[in-house]
Amino acid sequence: MSDTSGYHFDPGFIAEHLGELGTGLLRTLAISAIGMAGALVVGVLLGAISALRVPVARQLITAYVEVFRNTPLLVQIFFLYFALPETGLRLDGFTVGWLSLLLWGGAYNAENFRAGFEAVEGGYVEACRALGFPRLAAFRHVTLPLGARIALPSVTNILISVFKNSSFMVAISYPELTETAVNIVAVTFRASEMFLAIGIVYLALVWLMSLGAGAVERRFAIPGEH
Amino acid sequence: MPPWVGPVAGYLAEGLRETALLALVSIAAGLLAGTLVGAVLTLPSRPVRAVARTYVEIWRGLPIVIILYAIFFVLPVIGVLVDTFTAAAIGLSLWGSANVAEVVRGAVQSIPRGQAEAAAALGFSWTGRMRYVLLPQAARRALPPLIGLVVNLTQQTSLAAVIGLLDILEASQRSIERLTLSGGSSHAVPILGAVLAVFFVICLPLTMLSRWYERRLH
Repeated sequence: MSDTSGYHFDPGFIAEHLGELGTGLLRTLAISAIGMAGALVVGVLLGAISALRVPVARQLITAYVEVFRNTPLLVQIFFLYFALPETGLRLDGFTVGWLSLLLWGGAYNAENFRAGFEAVEGGYVEACRALGFPRLAAFRHVTLPLGARIALPSVTNILISVFKNSSFMVAISYPELTETAVNIVAVTFRASEMFLAIGIVYLALVWLMSLGAGAVERRFAIPGEH
Repeated sequence: MPPWVGPVAGYLAEGLRETALLALVSIAAGLLAGTLVGAVLTLPSRPVRAVARTYVEIWRGLPIVIILYAIFFVLPVIGVLVDTFTAAAIGLSLWGSANVAEVVRGAVQSIPRGQAEAAAALGFSWTGRMRYVLLPQAARRALPPLIGLVVNLTQQTSLAAVIGLLDILEASQRSIERLTLSGGSSHAVPILGAVLAVFFVICLPLTMLSRWYERRLH
């Protein structure tokens, strides 16, 4: 703060705030991890129910998927945080954080898994049924392992987006990494250093996840395809 | 009709105008710049491709919130003053163009190699091959994911509220605050419900169009 003539770039400033930023990063990772795991489970379950054409449940799932895919995540977050208390349900920032990410990612993944399951060649399931497998067993042993692999690239894409979108919680002042950074900038005015620093953190984690996703996709690639 | 509905609806409509304008500007700039960068990604020159690849990885990898904050807070530091609309438009265009570029690259590379080779044999330059042979064919394949991106960008405009643009979401927030301050209920459920409904009515037809077009291609 010695320079009065103008702004100068001071990366050392980040070091003074490492503790706060670390805590923020942990919160980001916590809501992201719960959101990603939940989005995966919800996606597989709802995608399976849709693909199995369970009556009524399927229509309800379609409605859920369309509502969450065709409205902005940020408005969904605001609804959970500001509108739900009106109905008597008050959720704290942490809960809205993971829950909104889970609901959003779950909707996209339900659609991804459904499409994956329905892309499995019909002959496999018919052969399975001809061998005497009940319908659910045929799904579990044939459609699920094949369809999940077909869906994998789009599913991992959504999971990475869930992580990136955890930064939306800045809008409800939940002190994850972005909100922590914005708060520090508000008192120190050192915007360049701060956004460069957390930008690098987000980019590094996104690239790491992409590498992981690529490895998983190769490991589970359906043999003989592509 | 309760007396608060009229003023709030008018306020939201004003916000919606900002939202629509921001969406149109970002979509147009994103499509234009993204097609250009996407075409560059298919160039034979490695260094040129690397530059475009870096651009795409940075603006696709960063959370949009960070992009918007960085532009809004960092540009003034280097002496460029931007208002919230401009900052949001720049940020959304950068993010949108990087995503469009990936779609365009994928679509161009999905066109059988023989098409480009035949065009080259006929004496077409790179721009000619792109303009008359590859892009027209790639456009058909790119259309469904591009419509998906248009929907995505339209939804992401709501993030401009985070840096203070008076869009439909910010208008809803201010209405809720005002109603709370004037005593009584905030009416957050119907107000935010209306914002959700507006986006839903805009986005659902586009999503359905994209799905219909995708099925038609197969």
